[in-house]
Amino acid sequence: MSTSATATINETPRLMKSTGQGLFNFAAGLSILFALWWIGIELISRSSTTAYFASFGPVPTLRAMAMLWHGGLIQSAVWASGYRLGTGLLIAIAIGVPIGILMGRIQIFRELSNSPFQLMRMISPLSWEPIAVIVFAGWNEAIIFLIAIAAVWPVMFATAAGLAKVDPNWFKVARNLGASRRHVLTQIIVPAITFDVLTGIRLALGVAWIVLVPAEFFGVTSGLGYTIEDAREGLNYDQLMAMVLVIGAIGYMLDSLFVQLIKRYSWHRQT
Amino acid sequence: MNAVAAPAGALAFLRQKSPGARRFFFGIVGLAAFFAVWELGTLLLQFNPATRTFATFGPVPTLEAFPLLWGEGKIQAAVAASGYRMGAGLLIAIAIGVPIGIVMGRVKRFREMSNSPFQFLRMISPLAWMPLAVIVYPEWDQAIIFLIAIAAVWPVMFATAAGLAKVDPAWFKVARNLGARTVHMLTQVILPAITFDVLTGIRLALGVAWIVLVPAELLGVTSGLGYAIKDARETLSYNHLTAMVLVIGLIGWLLDAVCVALIKRYSWHHRGNH
Repeated sequence: MSTSATATINETPRLMKSTGQGLFNFAAGLSILFALWWIGIELISRSSTTAYFASFGPVPTLRAMAMLWHGGLIQSAVWASGYRLGTGLLIAIAIGVPIGILMGRIQIFRELSNSPFQLMRMISPLSWEPIAVIVFAGWNEAIIFLIAIAAVWPVMFATAAGLAKVDPNWFKVARNLGASRRHVLTQIIVPAITFDVLTGIRLALGVAWIVLVPAEFFGVTSGLGYTIEDAREGLNYDQLMAMVLVIGAIGYMLDSLFVQLIKRYSWHRQT
Repeated sequence: MNAVAAPAGALAFLRQKSPGARRFFFGIVGLAAFFAVWELGTLLLQFNPATRTFATFGPVPTLEAFPLLWGEGKIQAAVAASGYRMGAGLLIAIAIGVPIGIVMGRVKRFREMSNSPFQFLRMISPLAWMPLAVIVYPEWDQAIIFLIAIAAVWPVMFATAAGLAKVDPAWFKVARNLGARTVHMLTQVILPAITFDVLTGIRLALGVAWIVLVPAELLGVTSGLGYAIKDARETLSYNHLTAMVLVIGLIGWLLDAVCVALIKRYSWHHRGNH
């Protein structure tokens, strides 16, 4: 899991590269996407049976986006979803990193925990939903639980994999130099695995982003998922597309942020 | 629980055994510990009168529900329906993702231009497409397959491109010097070189598709694993619910293990540094 993740990151072209070429590719690529979208909808809505697809086009979508922004709907949806996503990810990190360190350092724990963790990891997060709704008093807590249980596995396994890559001699040297347990943790383990933990958090963010929207389809009356569901029920297809666009743009921004952080801390990839 | 604190003698014995036997033993003990913790949690809930109704979430009622659900054919039917959707969605994702990934890996211009639109589309949460998919496709089955495909295509695509980027450019030169045509280049150089990475991508795609499948089946359809969970909740048969959750975990684990085995089989260029 971690090898392919790092490979993808190394491959991800440097979007934020301040050269004109990078900026040009960024803008040109998105322009082509919008052009294809516009042409596609134009062709589809020409036929009278599919004329109602016209409101899916880029022009009505951007108009609806401006309207939703003025109404404050986008801001409030982003705020509600952001709170759930942030809390869920924080819980996942707070649980995943320590357990991942244990997995990386203690062989017997790693071997024993492998089968139950693999089983639980492959339980599709949304299948916890009925249980979460019964166990937690509020829908907000249930959604946060779903995000946390989806996001904890990438963080945990990336942390463990990162620790497994650390040269065992480092620990020997540290011990010989008289490092206490706490020093080993703060001076060796944490700096060594920062890169892998960030890689894991990036994967976790991707998974949490997938889980967030369906989790908000039920019960709650706020957030990005609810806004989409609401737009569909009101047959406001332009607003629906505007929210899809908002979800893509925010996801892209968050993902790019982590790519930057990962690059910043990728010390053992330089060779 | 006492199995976790296995006596040191047994461990010493295991060390002499093959790594496979050791893995198997620890796998069983780990699962036993998992069930023990689950049972312990259920017992704690049972002691409190306010939470006594949750006792059917425990492992014993869950395992009792298994033969019942199997006998009624509910598990088989759900697995068949979901398996068809998963398989069709993943095949579409592979059929689209691998060729585009190869183009991304080989054509620099395409890679640079496609990055921003693809990253943007990738980060649109797959279930956000659902209202659109329901409108576009006449049947729910097709809408679900579309959702799985659009979620699974990105890991396959990016893994293929990353795999191709790792291939030594000298190989292409050698192949060209030896007179290889484009077809030969594809079948003799590119495909063998990227099999490992494509499989890694498919494994990631499987994980994502597995996440998308269940919520996609919670609405509209009346078959599949997601529906079975919803159905169990609505009829308040909590042990059926946990049994289906367990089925989902076990099948996902099995599929993941198959991918891992395939990846190991084809991991030729990772033997050196990993």
